[in-house]
Amino acid sequence: MSTLDELKEVIINGNAPAAKRLTEAALNQGTRPGDFFAGAIIPAMDEVGRRMRECEFFIPEVLIAARAARASTEILKPLLAGDSSVRPAGTVVCGTIKGDLHDIGKNIVAMMLEGAGFRIVDLGVDVGPEKLVDAVRREGADFVALSALLTTTMVNMKGAIEALIAAGLRQQVKVMVGGAPVTESWAQSIGADGYGKDAPAAVELARRFIAEAARGMSAARRGAA
Amino acid sequence: MADHRTHRVVLRPIGVEVRVRPGEPLKDALFEQGVEFPCGGQGRCRGCRIQVLEGSAGVNAAQQERLSSDELAAGWRLACQCVADSDLVIELRQWDSAILSDESSFAFTPRPGLGVAVDVGTTTIVAQLVKLASGRVLAVRTALNSQARQGADVMSRLQFALSAAGRRELEGLIRRQIGALIAQLLFAANAQADQVRDVVLVGNTVMHHLFCGINVEPLSHYPFISGGDGLQVLSAGQLSWKLPADTRVRFLPGLGGFVGSDILAGLLATGVGESKDAVGLIDLGTNGEIVIGNRDRILCASTAAGPAFEGARISMGMRACTGAISEVTIENGKPRCHVLGNTRPAGICGSGLVDAVAAGLDLGVIAPSGRFANGGSAWQLCAGVALTQKDVRELQLAKAAIASGLVMLRERWGGADPARLYLAGAFGNYVNRTSARRIGLIDYQPDQVEPAGNTALLGAKLALFSRDGENGSYTRLRSRVEHVSLSSDPHFQDVFVEQLGFTENIGAFVNARHEESIYEHPGRT
Repeated sequence: MSTLDELKEVIINGNAPAAKRLTEAALNQGTRPGDFFAGAIIPAMDEVGRRMRECEFFIPEVLIAARAARASTEILKPLLAGDSSVRPAGTVVCGTIKGDLHDIGKNIVAMMLEGAGFRIVDLGVDVGPEKLVDAVRREGADFVALSALLTTTMVNMKGAIEALIAAGLRQQVKVMVGGAPVTESWAQSIGADGYGKDAPAAVELARRFIAEAARGMSAARRGAA
Repeated sequence: MADHRTHRVVLRPIGVEVRVRPGEPLKDALFEQGVEFPCGGQGRCRGCRIQVLEGSAGVNAAQQERLSSDELAAGWRLACQCVADSDLVIELRQWDSAILSDESSFAFTPRPGLGVAVDVGTTTIVAQLVKLASGRVLAVRTALNSQARQGADVMSRLQFALSAAGRRELEGLIRRQIGALIAQLLFAANAQADQVRDVVLVGNTVMHHLFCGINVEPLSHYPFISGGDGLQVLSAGQLSWKLPADTRVRFLPGLGGFVGSDILAGLLATGVGESKDAVGLIDLGTNGEIVIGNRDRILCASTAAGPAFEGARISMGMRACTGAISEVTIENGKPRCHVLGNTRPAGICGSGLVDAVAAGLDLGVIAPSGRFANGGSAWQLCAGVALTQKDVRELQLAKAAIASGLVMLRERWGGADPARLYLAGAFGNYVNRTSARRIGLIDYQPDQVEPAGNTALLGAKLALFSRDGENGSYTRLRSRVEHVSLSSDPHFQDVFVEQLGFTENIGAFVNARHEESIYEHPGRT
């Protein structure tokens, strides 16, 4: 088993000290920092997502796996700073909607997206429209991920999207929504771009948007040529 | 009554026949028959599933989202969403609920006339007619809260009441229903309306606001604090009840946040505020309320446990009524199920679920992480009823909410740990305390935990006899209670996640639970 395969296994099993040790070992063996993501971290978190969906993993297992993944990325991040060949898959601004304090689901979504190679700007809980608009502008976000756990706070998602429109930022970002009371039809009715029924679905959604944007760009290029 | 423009809908197994107009959802007709709509009939849950045995009923997007193609093919529908396309025969599970009606004794100050004590529950309303001279209960009536057609839990009802029209509708429903219950009590006791001197109501903050006509908007979002949860004094005339117009009707004050006068009444009933040593009171409902107090200090908090203890969101979950597995023990290394009403098991209720998971842990079927040890997706408890992996996860969420609330309130309390815990409410009365400890719901020795019955109703009754009227003992008690907001505590997530798992197998629990089962519930087989 290669060191990267071993790293993938220990991340899935949530062994943060081993993840740190194996990351250092692989670097010493000459593995390039940028190769850890496709080679270990992203497939590990995909597997965690699969197990979560099968009810095999529950919140604690997902959280400790994410912590192990972070033990590895913390070492890699400074090494990647000057490497322009490794870019995050996209920047996600996330938070729970105004009036809502329940953030475990949002935290898991953020960790899974981070594990999938996205850059996360976590605004925390009770995020109002102004704070959201500021962060999207400041961070040059590609995605906005909002969660609500109450039917009574879910309505504030509409206001958040309206604020993005008013600020002229709506075209820049794809808005993804989720949380227990949220449904596909609700997401459509408020003009969100997508609904994720769980954390793995949010990752799939973000990847789909990126693939669509890439196709759109190559189509535009062909059109220009 | 036969009308060729309506469809005939036969409800099995109760054999009742109702008529609906073409294009009209089944919801209203079925609600009249007592079918509940947990999400308020918005197609967000699967709580109102029915099976169409004969005839055809339409499928819409909401049903496609909530039901699998196999289920739809087998005739399963959401009653709140489907419309009759022809005459129908449908199966629904209509059970008689077993509800606690308190009959305990208490101290009182005699006076002439009659009083009415009402526990306004989100799900169930219990009303008692009491002779004020003797404290004797003359009649009891229970009913499902008629607001339930607009949502089973407080949050969906809150949402409905955010519009002025919605609020007026819910206010009208509950006021009319309680008025009718009082009339039924008087009829049952062969008593006259002009004998009634006093009516006391208790309930959570949302029930309080909806009855009294107070804006619920502040309760719909963080920080969930309403300034309007004080004592409300109304008159029977204002409520259009068939009682002398000046009869006093009091809705007792809440304790802060969602913690309402049902818990205040519970404190009165259990004497938490007079105890020398610290004691606890826990109401295990959808919103779990927790109190720790003694004669010097009282702390209270609420924690969102969700509806798993009521059987909701559990694949074969149901209320504690005929056909429900209410108890699971271990016999010869296998689970043994006890079914309410000695009939074929139809599902599992909250107390059965707690037992089943405890038994699964003892048998090694469920690992401490909550995962089925053999990696399977379901565990067959008995013919017809299985527990799925997702059911175990739902229970883990509910128990962790209560357990972390208790852990955090104990931390906040700081002093000597409460030596005794009272469990209020129906679920608290029926849950096996050894099992509750085994799954980590309540980390107390069974002999330290005391089921206290419907303490809300008992406290409401005590308030009827409060010596100094409106400034009664409950007002003084309320001023001493400090409400703690757990959800805004940054440690909540860590504690919650810590409480999600189970402890390793401890063989001693197997026998202890079995003994408790035999000695505590001789009538329940």
